Formats: sequence, structure tokens, C-alpha cells
Amino acid sequence: MPYDAPALGALLADLASRQLVVVTGKGGVGKTTVAVALGAALADAGRRTLVLEVDPRENAHRMLGVPPSGGEVVTVRRRLMLQNLQPRAVLDQLVREQVRIGLVVRRILSSEVYRHFAEGAPGFKELAILGHALRVVRGLERVTASPGARRARTQPADADVDVVVLDAPATGHGLSLLLAPRLTAATVGQGPFGRMAGEVAAMVDDPARTAVVIAAAAEEIPMHEALESLARLRAELGREAQAVVVNGLFPALPASDDGHESDDPAGRLWRDRRRVQERELARLDAAWRGPRVELPLLPLDSGPPLVAALAARLARAEVAA
Amino acid sequence: MIDLSRRDPPLLVVVGAGGVGKTTLAAAMGVQSAAAGVETLVMTFDPSLRLKDALGVGDEARDAEVRVAGDAWADRSPAGLWAGLLDARRTFDRLVERHAPDAAARDRILGNRFYQNLAGSLAGILEYMAVERLWEAWQSKRWGRIILDTPPTRQALDFLEAPERIVGFLDSGALRIALRPWFDEGGRLRATSRWGAMGRGFEGWLDEVVGLDLLRDMAEFFAAFAPLFAGFRQRAVEVQALLRSRETEFVLVAGPGEERNADTLFFARRLREAGYRLGPIVVNRVHPRWPSPAGGASASAAAADSSDAPIADDGRRLLAWLGERDARGVTALRHLLPREQPLLALPLLPAEPVDLASLAALGEALRATA
Repeated sequence: MPYDAPALGALLADLASRQLVVVTGKGGVGKTTVAVALGAALADAGRRTLVLEVDPRENAHRMLGVPPSGGEVVTVRRRLMLQNLQPRAVLDQLVREQVRIGLVVRRILSSEVYRHFAEGAPGFKELAILGHALRVVRGLERVTASPGARRARTQPADADVDVVVLDAPATGHGLSLLLAPRLTAATVGQGPFGRMAGEVAAMVDDPARTAVVIAAAAEEIPMHEALESLARLRAELGREAQAVVVNGLFPALPASDDGHESDDPAGRLWRDRRRVQERELARLDAAWRGPRVELPLLPLDSGPPLVAALAARLARAEVAA
Repeated sequence: MIDLSRRDPPLLVVVGAGGVGKTTLAAAMGVQSAAAGVETLVMTFDPSLRLKDALGVGDEARDAEVRVAGDAWADRSPAGLWAGLLDARRTFDRLVERHAPDAAARDRILGNRFYQNLAGSLAGILEYMAVERLWEAWQSKRWGRIILDTPPTRQALDFLEAPERIVGFLDSGALRIALRPWFDEGGRLRATSRWGAMGRGFEGWLDEVVGLDLLRDMAEFFAAFAPLFAGFRQRAVEVQALLRSRETEFVLVAGPGEERNADTLFFARRLREAGYRLGPIVVNRVHPRWPSPAGGASASAAAADSSDAPIADDGRRLLAWLGERDARGVTALRHLLPREQPLLALPLLPAEPVDLASLAALGEALRATA
């Protein structure tokens, strides 16, 4: 659902210059909704955008009104693409590329050791996800050609994608994802995997290339987790988030609320919910001076109209703290 | 309804997607169970500070089960409520400390780089550690009921499958291969040192691709860990049997709204297919139904108009819409589930429970909801 983009707010202007926008957040806060809406807003702002979802149970395609990706790139509309990534498939592809000898590749891919290693995998899945994002923005991975022609390249070329919005897996605050390249680079040594880990770490650790957006809800547990993520980003990665997007806010209470007019059950619930949310927003204020965006809870079912409404708000969002 | 005054089931496992309120419900059921006279342990992952406050437990519950003080039900029931916080890494360390044959072996494992950085995620070992702690608590027979809150994941079964994955890993060739003496005392690959120049070439290639240091650390880790594996396997098999026995019942917690029904059905089906006994499905935080205020623009029209101008009845209109959405969702879910599947719709509370009294009220709501 394209719309006439008005002047961009500071958040979009900031994010539009990145190659990778990682959206983290715990389950239930609408992380995927925020990621998809950010992707839509970036596409509307003129960036060729790929939204990457990493969840075997696909969800993002419903929000965008397109068929499920099944691992392939789905074009949503001009400049906006969606892909559901299966880390295992990316790892298999890496083995194929690195080892090259068909017989050896088949033996590795079918071996129990590899299966357990790839499944339980120490940071390898995370590395595979980020590595894929890096290849996409470097033009090593074609995404706009027909599926059959979508082949890996070895030389950088004109990329089809300016920015990848990654809907990070909800585990471990999504931070294990950001830490994985460093960890792997330090462990695996200097070979192709190590080099790739190093390149990915360089991208992820460079704030000019990679932005971190934390999706949160103004409820006690989710806000606690968002604050913890901010603290861990600082302590373990030495960086700040580019924005905290607080999702699902009730409308502000009418100024004239003196307690009489809201004495019906619905008015009371509205007031109670909103006050909880305001308390949590105040907690965020006290702990975080950085950019913050508030998104309303809208009476719209999950789908393209909701994404368009949220994208419009994200596009306008000013992030002055 | 969820009636916890009976002795059965002695093990309740609370599962569901992230952010649906599993932990709070597990705690509320714990209060309900203890108040009904059953000595109860609630084991939970990383609960919010407030819930820790509500239960009155701190980080000491990471190492041992802690009795929750100030039980308001003391006049009705002498039973205690206990809380344990699941910390996988710590359980792993403790397990190593307890089962390592000697101090040297223990230090070799704890100091191994592979163990520190990587082993945790291998074959779901870390998730499995929570299962170990459950087994330990279950075996102690100190509690009449254990309520286990599981880590949030859309897959949910990762955690339950951990014992299976461990057994699968231990039974696969992977371990046998890992335990072979790959390296000689000098830290060189045995196989390749026999092959002369070609072997050195191969070793160099292997070092290139995965790094010999990593392989050395792994080999050392598995060698040091080998004595512990047999016990691991045995307990994993026993926990699998317990989780599938008549003593265990699963409570599936779901979020409201039609769009989440697919997730809920998926969970329910996976649980049944995997042979677990599914008790009630609880749709949590269902918005009550109210008529929309008269006059003004319709809620969705107002939403599509992205100007944020406040309207006096915004909140009421939104709540009316949410109430309809959730009612629709619950009705649809009821139709999609087998007739005999119990389904509870728990209304949204104005605020999350913050103390034992409000947890008790939530537990009571669970009991009373038809």
C-alpha cells in the first residue's frame, strides 16, 4: 500500500543510510510488525529494502499480503522484498561453496556430526543469517532475478538491495545474534569461515552500517526486557540502539478526565491500561535518553492496512530524545 | 476450570508463545495449588523483577528452591509454595562439579574454551539443563506438585525435545567420532601426520576451513566430558518418560485475537503428536466486550487517518473493537478444537499481578472460569 511520502522524520532519515537494520525484542511485543512496518517505510522512502524473517513458522507475509516465502525472495511491491531465511539452508550452501568437491560435500551434509553441529550450532546459525544479509547488500547474492537465476557470486556487483531489515529471532534479546560474529571470528581462526565471521563482525560492529532497533511494549515485563537489552548492548557490544519503538499504546486520556466521566467499565479499563503504559514509558525515559518512537494500538487486524498505518507513523517519527 | 485442589496431576507444564503471560499464570497456579493444600514448587525461567518481588524470592532461587514467605493461605492450608529460577548455565556448571570424577577433570571441563563459548548451544545442551533441574526436584519427592514454566519460543517444543536431542546426539556416531584420539600429544592431527606432506597439506586445509584450535578444544571437551555422558543419557530417557506419563499434564497458554489461533492450534497439535497429555488451553488477557460508544468516526476509519488528533472516545472505541476481535477469536478457536478439548478464556486484568494476593485472585479466576 504505497502512500505519498511526506517529509521524512529523523528516524527514517537516520535508518535510510544503513545497510542493515536489526530489529530485536522479546516475543509478544509486535517485533515482526515493527520490522515489517520499518521495511515498508524504508521502501516508501526510496530504499530498496529486503525484510528478512528467521522463523520456520512464517508470519511476515500475512502482514504484507503476499504468499509465504518458503526461503525464496518475494517481491511485495516496488523496492520492497521479503525473504524467510532458513539458517540451515544457508549453512549448507556455505559448505557447498567452501568445500566444492561434490562427493565430500555430500558426505559432510549427510553426516550426523554436521547435522548436530549445524542444529545446535555454536553461533553458526546467527553467523549464517548475518552473512546472508552481508552478501545481499554487497551484491554477492542476487535477489531480484527469477528464482532459477538467483545464484551466489564470488565478486561484488551492483546490489539489488540497499538495506536489509532483519526481524531477529526472539531468543536471548536478539543479542546473541549480534555477538555471534565476534565469538566465531575469535574461535574459528583464519579460514574462509573465520574470514566471513570477521567481515560480518565488521559490518555489525560499525554503527554507520548497522542499526539496532529495539521493539518494546509499555508493559512491565517487556519494558524490563527492553531496558536489559539496552544495557547489554552497551556492556557487551559497546553500542547504543538507534531507537526504541514502543508498540501498542492506548490513546492518551482526555485532559478533562476528572474521574466522573470515565466511571464506566470501558473508561476505567482504558484509564488503567493507559496509566500502566505511562508508568512504563516514564521508566524508559528515566533509563534511556536516546531516540524513542511511540506507535499506537490501532483497531486494525494484522495485515497490509495496519502495516501502512504504522509505516506512515514511522516515516514521520521525529526521534529527538 | 483448572482445579488444583486434587492431587493430580503432580507435574504441570505451562507452555505457549512468548509474551502471553505464561510465567504469571504458572505463579498464580502455584498459589492456588498451595492454598488448596498441596506442597507446590513453581520452576520458572527468568521471571520479571516484579514477579520475583511478588513471590518474595531473589537470585538465591537460582541455586536452590526457596520457600515463598507470607503465604496468605496459612489459615486454610499448611502447604508451602516454593520457587526455583532456572538458570541453564549454572545448572550445567553444577552438574559438572557434581559428576566430574575428580577436581582435575572438573577444571579441565570448566576451563575449556569450547565449553565456555560454544558447548552451551550444542545439541540443545543448555535447554536440557533445565530438564536436569526438573528431574532433580522431581526425584527429591519434596513436593506434591511441580509447576514448570517453559522458556518462551514460538516452537515451544525445543525445550521438551531437549532430552530427545541429547539422547539422539549421544546415540549418533557424532560422539564416537568426537571421542576418537584425533590429536597426538603434540597437538598434531594423528591421521595426517602419517601421510607425510600430503597429510600436512590436508591439515593446513582443515585449519583454513574450520580452524584446528577449535577442533582441538572440541576433542578435549568431549574427552573430558565423556564420563558424564552415561548419566546424562539415563536421566534424559527417564525425563522423557515422565513428561509423557499420566503424571504430567500440559497447560497451553495463548494470546487473544483470531490471528493467533494458527499458533495455538499448531502448538496443540505438536503436543498431541509428540505424545504429551494436553490439559486445558487458556486464552489469556481476553478483552471484555462492550458496546462501541455512539457517534463519531468508526474505529478503523480513525486509525487509517494517521493524524494523531485525540478523540474523546478513542480508548472506548478501541476497547470495543478489541473486545469484538477477542470474542471472535475465542469463538473461532472453540470451533477449530475438538469438542472435548477444554478451553478457558481469561479476561484481561487492569494490571499484572504484583503480589501474592493478586496472584491468588488470578488463580481463583482460573479455577472459576468455565
